[in-house]
Amino acid sequence: MDFRWEVVWIAMPQMIQGAQMTMQITLLGIGGGLVIGTLCGLIMAFRIPVINWLVFVYVSVIRGTPIVVQAMFIYFALPLAIDVTLSGFAAASLCLALNAGAYITEIVRGAVLSIDKGLTDAGLALGLSYPQVIASIVGPLAFRRTIPPLGNQFIISLKDSALFLVIGVAELAQRGEQLTAQTGRALEIWTAVAVFYLIMTFTLAMIMRLIERRMTIL
Amino acid sequence: MNRPATPYLIRCSKLGKRFGDTPVLEDIDLSVAAGEVVVIVGPSGSGKSTLLRCLNVLEPLSTGTLEVDGKTLGARGTSARAIRRETGMVFQQFNLFPHMTARENVMLGPRKVRGQSAKKARATADRLLERVGLLDWAEHLPRELSGGQQQRVAIARALAVNPKVMLFDEPTSALDPELRGEVLQVMQDLAAEGMTMLIVTHEMRFAEAAAHRLIFMDHGRIVHDGRPEAMFANPPSERFREFLGHVK
Ligand SMILES: Nc1ncnc2c1ncn2[C@@H]1O[C@H](COP(=O)(O)OP(=O)(O)OP(=O)(O)O)[C@@H](O)[C@H]1O
Ligand SMILES: [Mg+2]
Repeated sequence: MDFRWEVVWIAMPQMIQGAQMTMQITLLGIGGGLVIGTLCGLIMAFRIPVINWLVFVYVSVIRGTPIVVQAMFIYFALPLAIDVTLSGFAAASLCLALNAGAYITEIVRGAVLSIDKGLTDAGLALGLSYPQVIASIVGPLAFRRTIPPLGNQFIISLKDSALFLVIGVAELAQRGEQLTAQTGRALEIWTAVAVFYLIMTFTLAMIMRLIERRMTIL
Repeated sequence: MNRPATPYLIRCSKLGKRFGDTPVLEDIDLSVAAGEVVVIVGPSGSGKSTLLRCLNVLEPLSTGTLEVDGKTLGARGTSARAIRRETGMVFQQFNLFPHMTARENVMLGPRKVRGQSAKKARATADRLLERVGLLDWAEHLPRELSGGQQQRVAIARALAVNPKVMLFDEPTSALDPELRGEVLQVMQDLAAEGMTMLIVTHEMRFAEAAAHRLIFMDHGRIVHDGRPEAMFANPPSERFREFLGHVK
């Protein structure tokens, strides 16, 4: 077995571009997912009538179908259904945001519900209003508890972005596939791709650790 | 003669509470005058906690009326919050806010409920922490304090909004015996200063030493309501005598 380093060297610029695309999609995906998930998680935790059922349906649909199917649906089926055509990049980011959003909904809901009811009682007994109790007590405590599971979800989302190669988005995995076809050197290309993913997930994990350490989980 | 409009700080009549179909409190008529110290006892499940929670409207009443410091629940301009502001509550499990230091716990009420400036709230907090003997611990988080210290901070926190009545739900039950004394001492000092207090407890010696009234509850009703010395010396019913035998 010979490992030709020059193949990796030549492929490097394209792989860096792919990694950049992966990072962009991931950032948009987890950013959007955080917004969706926080909102939906609070709706579920506080059982806002009617819309909590819509949220339940959304979470069930996302959790109950493979993310590949979701990507295919958004990219290929949606244009037929409602006449909107998305670029591959937009479809991928939207898909990842919707997907992460459903899981983050559960993370947020779980964190809010895990906060001892006695603390809410103590706040109300002081004479705080319910929104004040959420803002000063339940919110800050629940927020801390979301951080470890969020870190996990961010890494899953980053890796999930690889399957957007099925809709032809030029992210890292898709570049890997193309480069393999061009060079015929699967060993070098996929090793390099794996290393790129490792570097990105490891960095993300370290960032989350840092935040975790800064804020004691109570 | 200048009589206050309401001689009672707490007055409830025909107060009832049910969870679903289960009645937990029935026909509670209770009046507590300013400065009175009332100890409530009764077997587990008799509704003692629920009664305290109804008195500061952490639980909505099912029936009956409640008046605290002249404010009638449900009347125009009287929200549950208005009543809660006048009643401080101390819980069995302390329920200190774990992300805040002792001082921040005590400051929260004055800041958010009484609208005090940070500086003023801090002074209020430090005065109360000093009073419960914990000024040196002001910067510590609850988990760095012993149970007895946590409960004293919780008392300071409840006092910080200047309530007219203090409600205690088994404040020493979660504490090791050697830590109970420090909490009971703080409560006894409060009683001596004339604070109106309703205390659910199994500490009969505290009841004897500090209470003006002893209430015995059973099956969601007030069965006896009298002077503690008299009730201890001469138990008014077989049921109460039996109960005393269990707790003493
Ligand atoms: N949120 C609730 N939902 C349903 N039932 C409840 C609820 N809270 C209390 N109960 C019931 O009401 C009854 C009275 O409970 P409560 O806690 O007031 O009793 P207690 O006298 O404080 O007992 P203990 O000495 O064990 O603290 C119990 O039978 C309890 O199961
Ligand atoms: Mg109880």
